[in-house]
Amino acid sequence: MKALAMLAAAMALAACNEIPQDAPKPYAGKEDTKAYASDMFKGDKAKYESHLAKRADYQNEYIRTGDAKTK
Amino acid sequence: MARMKFICDAERCIECNSCATACKQEHEVPWGVNRRRLVTVNDGIPGERSISVACMHCSDAPCMAVCPVDCFYRTEDQVVLHDKDLCIGCGYCFYACPFGAPQFPQAGAFGLRGKMDKCTYCAGGPEENHSVEEFRKYGRNRIAEGKLPACAEMCSTKALLAGDAGVITHIYKTRVVTRGKGDEIWGWAMAYGGSGKLSDQPGAKA
Repeated sequence: MKALAMLAAAMALAACNEIPQDAPKPYAGKEDTKAYASDMFKGDKAKYESHLAKRADYQNEYIRTGDAKTK
Repeated sequence: MARMKFICDAERCIECNSCATACKQEHEVPWGVNRRRLVTVNDGIPGERSISVACMHCSDAPCMAVCPVDCFYRTEDQVVLHDKDLCIGCGYCFYACPFGAPQFPQAGAFGLRGKMDKCTYCAGGPEENHSVEEFRKYGRNRIAEGKLPACAEMCSTKALLAGDAGVITHIYKTRVVTRGKGDEIWGWAMAYGGSGKLSDQPGAKA
């Protein structure tokens, strides 16, 4: 009887198990080609990064006007 | 390693929609799908603000966490992309995203959802760079051409900044110091964690 009660309790609580959901999940899709693998950079990551940083600086019009107040 | 981010300067955005138009045109985005859009707060009231909103490519992206088929991945530049060949169009990412970025084209006559579409930071997707397939599924790959996202480069007032976190926070800092206001970066804390104050960003300390 006791064994039956324990079995019933185990079955009743079976759904209370919580699966961890915050573990990083692996990507299941296709591998992407690197952005700097294109003909323009030919795998040179440093060239790619410096090119983008320079391009990002074009967004700063204070550089063009020379009016920037920097501390 | 670059950490690509967006900043929308609410003090500068004039709601011209050139970012949304540039995105649509660049990637030939279908009708009904808006990878980038404008949100105006307190419209018509003095002091109204407009924000250009798209996928922010979050540091701890909730879309990645909830995707049942694990179709999301992060590039070396911290851009969050997804594989449309795996996506089942379930819409979980739409409910998880705090920015409403995932978009679902209508597939068929009965309002069925197609595969999810979102801002790719103009970095294409998991296909050969500049291939026909990449353009068809994800749009143009400007990043592989050494260009920044079309929305930011097209922005008429340069309210929308794109690029490495260190570079764009430095640009933003120059503005804040020059005009003397607007220290809060919209959406930064939500997307990238930590503080949304410019003064707390490591890249802003020059």
